[in-house]
Amino acid sequence: MKAGWVWLASFAVYPLLGAPLLAHAAFRRFGWTARAVLAGGVGAVLLSWTMTAFALAGWQWSFLLVVASAGVAFAIRTLIPRVSEPVEDDAGEAGGSRALVRIAHLLTVTSLAAAFAATFAARSTSTDLLLFWGPKAQQFAGARTIDAAFLGAPHLEYLHVYYPPLVTNVFAFNAMIAGRFPWGAATLTFPLLLAATAVALFGILSTTRRTSAAAGATALAISALALQGIRSAVAGNAEPFLLFFEVTAVALLLTPAAGTTAVQILAGCLLAGAASAKVEGLPFALAVTVLFLLLERRRARPAWRAALRLLAPALVSVATWFAFGMTRKIFYGYQGYGRASEFHWDHAATILTAVGIALWKVSYALPFAVPLLVFLLSGRPGRRSLIPLGVAAGITAFLLLAYLQNPLDPSLWIAWSAARVLSPVTALLALASFSAAERAP
Amino acid sequence: MLAAFSIAALPFSRGLLHVPQTPYDATDATSTPPAWILLARAEPLIPKGASVVIRTEPADANNDMYLHRFGIALLPGRKIVAAALWGVPTPPEELAAADWEVVVGRTESSPGRRLVFSAPQGSVWRRR
Repeated sequence: MKAGWVWLASFAVYPLLGAPLLAHAAFRRFGWTARAVLAGGVGAVLLSWTMTAFALAGWQWSFLLVVASAGVAFAIRTLIPRVSEPVEDDAGEAGGSRALVRIAHLLTVTSLAAAFAATFAARSTSTDLLLFWGPKAQQFAGARTIDAAFLGAPHLEYLHVYYPPLVTNVFAFNAMIAGRFPWGAATLTFPLLLAATAVALFGILSTTRRTSAAAGATALAISALALQGIRSAVAGNAEPFLLFFEVTAVALLLTPAAGTTAVQILAGCLLAGAASAKVEGLPFALAVTVLFLLLERRRARPAWRAALRLLAPALVSVATWFAFGMTRKIFYGYQGYGRASEFHWDHAATILTAVGIALWKVSYALPFAVPLLVFLLSGRPGRRSLIPLGVAAGITAFLLLAYLQNPLDPSLWIAWSAARVLSPVTALLALASFSAAERAP
Repeated sequence: MLAAFSIAALPFSRGLLHVPQTPYDATDATSTPPAWILLARAEPLIPKGASVVIRTEPADANNDMYLHRFGIALLPGRKIVAAALWGVPTPPEELAAADWEVVVGRTESSPGRRLVFSAPQGSVWRRR
């Protein structure tokens, strides 16, 4: 029990690691609670990258990780101009109804409480925690490195050795502090990261000055993600991490400050978190970058610099991971479930039916239907809402194509995974509604 | 509506304040909690470095494959011998090399092994 508390308390280290970056005055607009949470996200990204780099170099994990991660945060901070950059004003109205804000916050807190209760009652624990996230983290903590011998051992291919390292690294780092890997405490990352997402999302969206719209969008996203997470059993797996990084990164690019170097660098660090958390995080980061460059040309000037800020951290993170796999001869990139260029279009009807059934089983597809309905009622979508919409379309297409690559009937795979892996779509629809509402008179 | 459905999804019938025995007590993975409880109780009994085979009784190659995976997770530092992989049972001579045997389900005593621990979920045996 004590190890569990220490393991959870170890998450307090991450905001300290990201603090050198988030302490910059350019981030004051987000408020101190959101800044602390975003610093935690950046800290996790930097620590995970440092852990992977140490493993690549053959160095054992030690206290030096903390020093090196904070040093990287300081180095990134130097890329932000000292002179404050101009932030264009939005046409949004200030404030908004206090009653609406309170109702929205109440809904957010209720959903978070439900996620916590479901996790505490062992209702929503992911099987993947027991099958691969937990065993890998436990082994790495004991070995004080990413244990290539363990990953390459016979009969352990189910560990998905090529899966990006952030979740196992974070779990392992906390386990090194706690002295062991506490399985029950690891499940609580679901409500904790959902709460972190809520705090950061509201802090970011509030900078557009319409507090009621920000609170409403936060409540919608968190309520949908909570229900989806409870029903799809995501406690202890990578989805809560992925969603935190994806949602906060996209939200940053919807604010008036999206054109600044500081916010683009921060969004880039968070996109690196997504790419380091799950395989689909990399195409997500690519889609966000491309859409931002295409749809926000004025804010993304010069385009190559904006592209570098948004994408370089993700590419460096993934490249470090691939370099580790290649040098240890355990993986050479991401593996699909079939040949990359081969799509089994004869499975299309089966896949669409199976996806429909999988979504329906999550409370009649409400986590997807409600945000979609809100978006449709939010008015004509503006250019900015096309970013979350386009990313949602892109990630959906990516996942459907992944299912089409499977030469076997993918129905069972879809039943296990579809509702989970499509969950970013729910939050992206909520963000699209927010952007549409922002420009509505 | 979404928050209401989240609350409705909670396992009220089990009691929300009741501390679960395993992280899977109220999930759909109904075969996991008994194996978890047994392996958690076996963990302090089996020394690090020992080889262990974990299997079900009556034998089930699919379940045995998952028990191998559970063993990797819950018995760290031991050499887990798979009783079956991908639906194919491991040859008995390979299983015989294991120092310890964890059986999920009821099993009778047999020569060549000594009962170390028994629980409603199964038993732990020391071989040779």
